[in-house]
Order: sequence, then C-alpha cells, then structure tokens
Amino acid sequence: MNNKSRWALWIAGAVALFLYPRLFGIYYANIFVTFAIYALYAVSLNLLLGYTGLLSFGHAMYFGTGAYGTALALTHIKGLPLVPALLAGFFAAFFLAICVAPLVVRVGGNAFAMMHLAFGQLMFVLALKLRHITGGEDGVGGFPIPPLSIPGLFSLDMGDPILFYYFAVAVIAASLWLLWFFTKTPFGQIMVAVRDNTKRVDYLGFRVPHTKAVVYVIAGAFAGMAGAVYALFQNLVAAYDAYGILTSFVPVMMTMVGGIGQFFGPICGAGIFGVLDELTTRYTDRVELVLGLVLVLVIMYAPYGFTGFLTYLRMRWSASRAQRSPA
Amino acid sequence: MDASVAMYVAQGIHGLAYGMVLFLVASGLTLIFGMMGVLNLAHASFFMLSAYFGYQMVAWTGSFWAALLVAPVITAVFGILLERFLLKKVHAFGHMGELILTVGVSLIVLDGVKAVWGTESLPLKMPPVLEGLVQIAGMQYPIYRLFIIAMALVLLGILSLVLFKTRLGMVVRAAVSDAEMVNALGINVPLVFMFVFGVGTWMAGVAGVAIAPILTVFPGLADQMGMDAFIVVVVGGFGSLGGAFLVSIIGGLISSYGVQFLSQYAAVLMFVFMAVALAIKPKGLFGERD
Repeated sequence: MNNKSRWALWIAGAVALFLYPRLFGIYYANIFVTFAIYALYAVSLNLLLGYTGLLSFGHAMYFGTGAYGTALALTHIKGLPLVPALLAGFFAAFFLAICVAPLVVRVGGNAFAMMHLAFGQLMFVLALKLRHITGGEDGVGGFPIPPLSIPGLFSLDMGDPILFYYFAVAVIAASLWLLWFFTKTPFGQIMVAVRDNTKRVDYLGFRVPHTKAVVYVIAGAFAGMAGAVYALFQNLVAAYDAYGILTSFVPVMMTMVGGIGQFFGPICGAGIFGVLDELTTRYTDRVELVLGLVLVLVIMYAPYGFTGFLTYLRMRWSASRAQRSPA
Repeated sequence: MDASVAMYVAQGIHGLAYGMVLFLVASGLTLIFGMMGVLNLAHASFFMLSAYFGYQMVAWTGSFWAALLVAPVITAVFGILLERFLLKKVHAFGHMGELILTVGVSLIVLDGVKAVWGTESLPLKMPPVLEGLVQIAGMQYPIYRLFIIAMALVLLGILSLVLFKTRLGMVVRAAVSDAEMVNALGINVPLVFMFVFGVGTWMAGVAGVAIAPILTVFPGLADQMGMDAFIVVVVGGFGSLGGAFLVSIIGGLISSYGVQFLSQYAAVLMFVFMAVALAIKPKGLFGERD
C-alpha cells in the first residue's frame, strides 16, 4: 500500500466513524462505545501478552482502578471538569501499576499469570469489603458527568449519547494511536526482543526487568484509561463489573481470538466479541457456554486468531499468484 | 474444659479439614503441572463437577458412599477425555494455548452445571454414621471433619507409597523432572501423562464429594476452591507435593482462624500470605522451577 492510499483509508475511516451514529442511531452508537472501550482494554493487555510475552489473568485490577478512580473523583470533588476526571482514572491505574511492578517483573510465565489472578481477586475482595469507599456490590453510581468545555468558548453536554460517542471515540483513538506509536519506537523493539529471547536481551546490555516494568506500567495505565471511559459511559462502577474474574479473562480471550502479538488483533477480537455478545444475548442466556466453546475452538483450530487466519489467507494468495506468473 | 481452648481446637479441626480437602485438590494440580507444565485452570471445575455428580448420585441411590465411590471416577473419565482429545492437540502451541483452553473448558463446565442443576445451592446430606460429635479426652470433635482428615491422610499415604516405592512412581517422578529423557528411554510417557491426569482429577473429585456436605453444592464452588488451590501450588512450589501438603495445612488454618479473628478480611489473608511468601522465595517454598 503506498502512502496516498493509506491516507485515503485513514480519512475514509474517520468519516465513517463520524457518520456512524447519525446513520445507525443511539443504540448502535452505544454498542460501538462499548466495543471501543474493550478494544483499548484488550490492546493494553496485548502489550503485555503479545509483545512482551507476559500473560496476566488480573488485568481487570487496572481497568477497575481506572473506573473507580474516575467515579470516585467525580463523586467527591464538586465541579471537577471532564478531562481531569478522565486523568484521575488514568493516573490511579498508573500509580497502582508503579506499586505492583517491582513485585511482578522478576517472574514470568505461569507465576506471573497466577500472581495476577491472585492480585486481581485481592482487588475484587477489597472492592467488595471496603463498602464505605466503593459501595460494595452496589458500587459507585449516579455521579455527575461534567460537560466537555473550554470556558467562554464551547460546552458539550456529555449526557447526549451522540456527543459522548464522539468524545469517547476521540479519547480511545488517541490512546490507541499513542500505544501504536509506542510499539514502533526503539523501546518497542526491545520489548518484542524480551519476549523472543530474554537472555540475549540481557547479554546485549539492556535491563530486562526495567523494560518489563515500563511496559507493565504503560499497559496498566491505558487499561485504566479504558476503565475511566467505561465509568463515564455507564455512570456506575460496581465491584463485579470492574474487578470480576470475567473482566480479567475477557481481554485475554479477545486477544487470543483476534490474533496475538499483532497490534490490530485485539481490536478485531473486541469486534468479534461485540458481535458475538450481541447475538448470544439476543437468543440465549448461556453466554459463558458460548464464550467457552469459542475459546476452545479457536485454540484448537486457529491458534493465531482472526488476524493470523487473514495472514495465512494472504500468504496462500500471494503464493498462488507467484506460481502462476512466470518467473 | 476452658471454653476458649475448646474454640481454638474446634477452629483448628475445621482448618485442618479444609486444608486436607485443599491438599486433595492441589496435589493433582501440582502433579499435573510438574509433569506437563500445564497449569490446569479447569482443575477446580472438575472438583465442582464431581460435587454435582455426587449430589445426583445421592438423589438417585440415596447413598453417600456410592456417591463418594462413583462420582470421582466419572469425573476422572472427563479429565482423561480433556487431556486426550483437547490438551494434547494444543500442546505444540505452548503454555499460553493450554491455559486459554482450560479457561474455555472451565467456562463451559460452569455454565453447563448452571444449565443442568440451576444456580441455587443444593444440599448434600452426610451419612448418619458421620453426623454429630465425638468425645475424645473431654473435648468434642465433629465426626465428619475427622473423617475427612483421616480419608485425606490415607489417600496421601497411598499416593506417597505409589510415588516413592513403586516402579510406576519412579517413572512418574522421572517424567516430572525430564519428560523428554524418559520418553527416549522407551517408556510410553503420553500414557503416564494420561494416568497422572486421571489420578489428579480423581482426587479433585474425591475432594468435591467430601466437601459437599459442609459447603453445599453451588456454581461458585470452583472459584472459591480453585483460587485457594492455585495459591497452594504457587506458594508450595510448582510440582512439589510436599510443598503442596505443608502449604495446604497452613492455608486451611489461616482461613479458619482468619474467619475467627479477622472475619472482615479473611478472604484477603490467603493473598497476603502468598504475596509475603513469594516476596521471600519467588519460586515457592519448595519449588525448583518457575
């Protein structure tokens, strides 16, 4: 693809995103916001899982902390504007990740996964038990959603689902762009090298635990960003939705289904899950059963996920074309 | 007899009984991990599945003993099927695939039992012989919990005899330390794997039926036990049976005395214990690998 057609594609995408809520209405706009939140959440997980090879079963602790951070900030600080509220969630997750990182970056593999399972459950139990702060099972809800405004210039009411859609999509697109940019930096290359051959990276003089820690904190902070948007979107943050075990598993599944280690894999996965969720809840209440079956089938028959399948098709196509054309 | 001493002892018995059940679940988990490098996240689901099978057996035959004998065996068959037809196929893709696969299976089991038995908790009556209390040295002990402790100790005894005194046990231990080498020596390692997987799920199944009269049977059973069993395996050291035993007992006592003294934060204590243990020894108390 050359530069010009790439720009055309980006602009077409932006126009499609702009027109989407006008064409399909509020219901589908809300579905898209949910998808976008999970896409960012899954991409942040993929930074650990796909790029650095660290499987976390407790990523919900950052998503949940981001959500609670924003929700509690809006509940307790009167007249807090929108962007600082969003950043409150982001930095809550950021600081949690900074505290946890020294404990977890020296282990890998199963121990890393299990420690996160445990930490995630720990946060869940704390959210349930510290009732006076988190509201327990009922959660924190009904906090005011401030308008997006620059004083004297404009003020956009975030209660309007269409306007909120634009805000959420803009925030998430910017976050995704930052993460994408991050994977393209030299540091992003070291991150991949840590996954592929930790020992060699170490011999080359890069400090592996530090690299892991930086990736870990970034992944946590952007999961927090997803959580913050989620809090504004739902206007309710409860323990089970924020920290529940399923909230930790979902991004892992999205990444696996979409395609591990590719930047757009988790986004595809989030899309597939969005469609799947919409269909299953419409026809049956056995959502977990369908999720489980999808996971098993994907692992058995398409272990590189949807984008891996696409790559496979493209390679087949170019191979057959190369055969047909005379050398 | 002093009332507070009696209370300490009673809580101690509760903790020991829970620790023993925990060990039955965790020992299978740690053996399977040691041999195959698979952390079977569906292990606790088999534990729960067996409790449901036990409930169904009691509903049909009215006999707790029949349930205790048959339900774990059926569960073990399911475990072997999982190993044979699913886990083996994804082995080539590495641990990530196996972890995800077992998560998928655990979700299917969870929703499956909800579909068949519903979401409310079902009672499983203990046999009349084991009801009530027994007087030993001026103190009262609940018979059923003593029974659980005794049964687990017998199973532990048999397990360690097989593992450390027979040829089969020698092969298993050798496969735990280096499966490839054992395979090269002409021993059918995949068959040994299947056997260990079957025994592991069978023990989880026994634990499931044994705990059912105390906790009742409900879909959250797997989560509760699974988390504790994972902590035991992680803290005890992956693949270490002795570590699993010691940490199970400690864990059982922590949760039982925790409920007594710090009821508000009892659920967190196990995690704190794990965090402290791992901060001191990142590979677990008796672990050699990570």
